Amino acid sequence: MARTTAMRRPSTWAHYVALLKKDLSQELHTKDMLTSMGLYALLVLVVYGAALAQAGSELDILQMAGGLLWAVVLFTSLMGLNRSFSHEKEQGCLEGILLVPMDRSVIFLAKATANLIFLLAVTIVVVPLFFFFFLGQAGAAPSWPLAFVCLLVGAVGIAGVGTMLSTITMNTRGKDVMLAVLFIPLMFPLLWACVSATTAVMCATDGFMDTFVTSMALAAGYDVVMILVSWVLYDFVVSA
Amino acid sequence: MADEKTARLPRVGGRLDSLAPWALALGALLAIAGFVLNFTVAPLVNGATVAEPAVIGGTLVGNKLLLSQKIFYWHMPVAMASFAALVFTAYYSIRFLMTKEYRYDVRAKLATETSLVFVLCTMATGEMWTRFEWGVWWTWEPRLTTYFVLMLMIFGYFILRNAVEDTERRAVYSSVFGILIFIDVPICFMITRLIPSSVHPVIFRTDSGLSPEMLLPLLLSLFGFLLIAFGLYRLRLRVQLMEDALVRIQDKLED
Amino acid sequence: MDPILAEIYSTVFDAAPFVIAAYALLFAILCGYVVFIMGKLKRTEKKLAALEEHVDEQE
Repeated sequence: MARTTAMRRPSTWAHYVALLKKDLSQELHTKDMLTSMGLYALLVLVVYGAALAQAGSELDILQMAGGLLWAVVLFTSLMGLNRSFSHEKEQGCLEGILLVPMDRSVIFLAKATANLIFLLAVTIVVVPLFFFFFLGQAGAAPSWPLAFVCLLVGAVGIAGVGTMLSTITMNTRGKDVMLAVLFIPLMFPLLWACVSATTAVMCATDGFMDTFVTSMALAAGYDVVMILVSWVLYDFVVSA
Repeated sequence: MADEKTARLPRVGGRLDSLAPWALALGALLAIAGFVLNFTVAPLVNGATVAEPAVIGGTLVGNKLLLSQKIFYWHMPVAMASFAALVFTAYYSIRFLMTKEYRYDVRAKLATETSLVFVLCTMATGEMWTRFEWGVWWTWEPRLTTYFVLMLMIFGYFILRNAVEDTERRAVYSSVFGILIFIDVPICFMITRLIPSSVHPVIFRTDSGLSPEMLLPLLLSLFGFLLIAFGLYRLRLRVQLMEDALVRIQDKLED
Repeated sequence: MDPILAEIYSTVFDAAPFVIAAYALLFAILCGYVVFIMGKLKRTEKKLAALEEHVDEQE
């Protein structure tokens, strides 16, 4: 029973946890992404206030609530994704990570998880604020907590595809605009499905569960396909 | 020395290249045949019912006849051609990522370019139909929207190519994005089945609701435009390969 | 013209400009692409001629 004295190679899971911890602890130190995303979301809500100020009381805000909420989430995530690789690039961290002999797609999973956690953290703050500012009088239908399912499924897709695309745009000219140009069309089907599901649960008209389930199934399918493809292709992108 | 250089010129006139002009000619013929049959053989479709039926050419007609539907006979084939070109984009992108050979990158780029041309054709014809039938230039109808988003993605593909300086990076990034675009194609194609309220009819099924007189010009145009797309793509590729070879020779001479 | 026939054909004449425009636009876009390819070909041929001259001078 020869015991191997050599250092055991850390498992893929250990890599994943280490990378995720690195991102989270860095964020806890600088609080860079969370503050910028949170502030940005708040500012978008303020802009909504101005945009809807003249609409008067006849406007059915509930019909638009889902769409407005998703617009905040999408723009905020765009803001966060743009920053998510800037540290790595500025401090040469990514080169260091690439030197480690490991499966490159782990980098994708770790980074996507970190982005997802940040996005969810901001969403948790944004949703009550949104209700406070815009739905104080109208009030959503009792089924509104289901909107969190939509937010979760949407955020998973946004984090997955966004991580992939921000890795691509990190090395391009005019990267902020570039990310938006690639990200928004690619996210469109998911956005459409999520808005439809969110609006359905917030208005709760007859047969809304059917719309909700169909839309969520489409959104979840899109998530799965997109994340699988991104996961497979990430190795090429990050090594290029 | 001159001989050695000319020997390095692109090998144009391979089997596919010699096929390309014929494909273009045959495609044009088929498309024109489809066009002619569309206006001669295929009947006008029915619209809203009129107060009282009338007899036209021996048959009883009780509905308004719609000419605008004639746009469809070329609208759908060019849309299919754009999808077909995107399939090739995805195929060549995958081939590039597997082999890292630049010839696949060039082909993927040009397939996307061909697709863009046909997407523009589809948008133009579709827009005319929308304007007449619905009286608006734009509406957020599902098929229209997903197709529009597809067009934006193709624009994004070319913007991405222009924004990356390094040749290898550009090839890898655009290949990856080409594959991601391809995911939207089935969505765009299936959306009429998923959201049945849409005005776009489901054509590829056993009971498509099209009579044989209508199906014939449609299929002729479909094959015609697929051949035209292939011919244009090969022509463009031939020019591009020539240009690339020229640049290579110039670089070598300068050394 | 018979009023019923006029009603049956009422949209045909209004639609005609749009149908013609659709086919014309499609044709124009395809022609535009062919012109673009041909322009590229001409530029390449010009460069080739210049290169040939350059090589001849060098010999």
